[in-house]
Amino acid sequence: MSATELVSGGPRRPVSASAFVEVQALTKTYGAIRALKGVDITFRRGEVHGLVGANGAGKSTLVRSLAGLEQPDSGSIRIDGVETHVPNPSAATRLGLAFIHQELNLVETFTASQNIMLGSHEGAALAFRRVDGVHPAARTAAERLGIDFRLDRPVARLTVHQKWLVSIARALVHDCQLIAMDEPTASLDANESARLLKVARDLASHDVAVLFISHRLDEVLELCDRVTAFRDGGVSATLQRPELTRQRLVEAIVGHESAPSRPARRDSGEDRPVVLEVSDVRRGRALTGATLQLREGELLGIAGLVGSGRTELARAIFGADRIDSGAMRLFGRPYAPTSVADAIRHGVALVSEERRAEGLFLDLSVTSNLYVNTWHKRRTRCTPFTSARRAERQAAEIAQELGVVLRQGGVRQPIAGLSGGNQQKVLLGRWLQTEPAVLLLDEPTRGVDIGAREEIYRRIRSLTRTGMSVIVISSEFEELLECDRVVVMSAGSTVGELTGASITVNDMLRLCYL
Amino acid sequence: MTSTVTAPAAPAADTGRRALAFFASYGTLIVLAAMIIGFGVARPVEFLSERNLINVLNQSALLAIVAGGLTYVLVAGQFDLSFANIISFSGILCVGLLERSGLPIPVAIGGSLLAAIAVGIANGVLVAYLRIHAIVATLATSTVLLGLNFLYSNGAPITLGEGGFTDIARGALAGIPIPVIAMAAVLAILWLVLNRTLLGHHLQATGSNTAAARLAGVAVGRVTLAAFVCAAVCAAICGVLLSSRIGSGMVTAGDGFLLSAFAAAFLGASVIRDGQFHILGTFVGVLIVSIAGNGLAILGAQSYVLYLVQGLVLLAAVALSTTSRRVLGRRRT
Repeated sequence: MSATELVSGGPRRPVSASAFVEVQALTKTYGAIRALKGVDITFRRGEVHGLVGANGAGKSTLVRSLAGLEQPDSGSIRIDGVETHVPNPSAATRLGLAFIHQELNLVETFTASQNIMLGSHEGAALAFRRVDGVHPAARTAAERLGIDFRLDRPVARLTVHQKWLVSIARALVHDCQLIAMDEPTASLDANESARLLKVARDLASHDVAVLFISHRLDEVLELCDRVTAFRDGGVSATLQRPELTRQRLVEAIVGHESAPSRPARRDSGEDRPVVLEVSDVRRGRALTGATLQLREGELLGIAGLVGSGRTELARAIFGADRIDSGAMRLFGRPYAPTSVADAIRHGVALVSEERRAEGLFLDLSVTSNLYVNTWHKRRTRCTPFTSARRAERQAAEIAQELGVVLRQGGVRQPIAGLSGGNQQKVLLGRWLQTEPAVLLLDEPTRGVDIGAREEIYRRIRSLTRTGMSVIVISSEFEELLECDRVVVMSAGSTVGELTGASITVNDMLRLCYL
Repeated sequence: MTSTVTAPAAPAADTGRRALAFFASYGTLIVLAAMIIGFGVARPVEFLSERNLINVLNQSALLAIVAGGLTYVLVAGQFDLSFANIISFSGILCVGLLERSGLPIPVAIGGSLLAAIAVGIANGVLVAYLRIHAIVATLATSTVLLGLNFLYSNGAPITLGEGGFTDIARGALAGIPIPVIAMAAVLAILWLVLNRTLLGHHLQATGSNTAAARLAGVAVGRVTLAAFVCAAVCAAICGVLLSSRIGSGMVTAGDGFLLSAFAAAFLGASVIRDGQFHILGTFVGVLIVSIAGNGLAILGAQSYVLYLVQGLVLLAAVALSTTSRRVLGRRRT
């Protein structure tokens, strides 16, 4: 069977919501932690099935079991009614299951076409393959997805959105009948997200079972035919189209009805002194004129689509990138950080959006992660040496204060063992140790569950009450409703500002598309 | 002190997991203990004599010093291939300064240490600032050093005449050979700096995640350079002691240390903290390498057996720690 045949487009089976994968009573235990407590779930062809739930609720463990990355302790997985065992990821591919994660598994230096064809078993291993041009099967898959970019360019030059399409095309070439997407829209802007959701829809209409894992409830509500909510390692609700509402989803995830929290105080604070002033800052094509003011004790939001220059502005303020032109003032004095260390000395801190790549030292202890840039404060008096015992005791206190749930090993355990939300709390704690006057938070709640999200905003609020000025960057505009003021960025420049009651999601979006 | 989750009564599947975790952490130490017991039972008189144990430590000393320095570079996430030729280089230079230039011993030693620092700085600048891959950069400096060694020595060993220099490596204080004392001092300083100073914390952060370290304000370049300088200084100390011990400076003097130092450091990375390089681990690795050599020699084994054992033990240790890390895995849901 040639790959071309496999992606011939159009439904291969009669369209019916037939059960493709049936999971029954799946359990998985890690030491003392029961990650899955007897999960039953069915994925049907032609259906977009949403998986929602807090971090650690069990949805990732379920997906990892299906992908052959974990072996469940008990329970059964049936594919087309046949009891199946998925020993490893390549077996999952053979069974027609494709799993696409946030960290896309693409070879950056290969072309899109080569990536799409990667691992497809046609011909002998040593048979010569074309390394240039576009394989016909790749072209067919691309056409089916409406790919409009060139397939003979290295993947490194593609945007994240395009890389997702390449990954999906690869799944089609492998004749996958279940395509699971883990947080596919996390780093996409609204426009790209909409296009990806349409692709997911189309896949389902061609009789593919689509698994959509996301924290973005709006997208889940828009896209999915059926949604399974996880809580504490079990299924807390399975909702179908008519009964699918935001309220019910949140209820199923959180376990109690959480009223939409609105900030109690939203004063413009115009009497308070200006701490940071950014005037017409430019850097390459990414930043084309950013201007903003930050006042003492203010919570300022920066709204904008991905690629609007939000992260670049934060990095410029933090001294991670030099600016080409423009000026900044901190506490009224000219401020031109020469390095990150310089910015830190001036009282500026940045919690990066790329937690794993730019924040965490995964194999080092919680203590080391917390103190990486404040070890000089833990020295024994009059010596160059740090005190291990005191550092660990204080780290434990800080962790407790931040609400970090530590597992076995306490603050000595590698931070890799903590959940995403807890890792984020440790990173926040790291920067609070530097006693910043200006705290920049880039996507602080990415991949963090609703409970931890509210906790993080509560903490930010209490920080601003102590006089700290905080800038929050978020793609989830609903979160920015918490802010005193919101600056909107578009295509590298600041295009508008919303204050007080005029902060609405619609207004932010409207400014983004000005 | 901190909240911990206590496991309920462990099911059978958990026992295997625990055993694996135990062997991953302590397997290397068990191998060391087994070797000592094994050789001790086989040749109690020769192997366990006080003289032989001091001898083993004395034989370990130079390797431990250079492997300790190498550990810094590995902790920083870099690689160093130049230390073997730095050993030869500083030996030749030290002996040359004594014999040819007639300088006093402290000046000759100081001179060769300074020269090694210069080499370390060169390595660091090439890797940290010019962003040349560490293997290529240190291979290049190593080759340059080899050329300098031939140039300075004309390819023939520079032998020591009369004088107190050979007493350094052959002497003892309170019955403890001076190389052993030097080893203890160097390892203590290396441990202290790595675990209890800013430089050490920043070294570990840089090696763990360079991008994150940079964004946390760590001077990644300077820290990396410091690691290469430390490695070069340790290699120079080793070289000076070695030339003192063998009574000459030779172009090939340091060659034998290249593989054993890497073997010791990688063996050490599987001691207790799996996959991370650390000073105590490296010391355990050095002991395993030296005791294997000593014990097999006492048993009368031929030299090829030592290489077989050293290679297989290294493979076993690294395989065990890698496998266990994969099986025990990242505990995420």
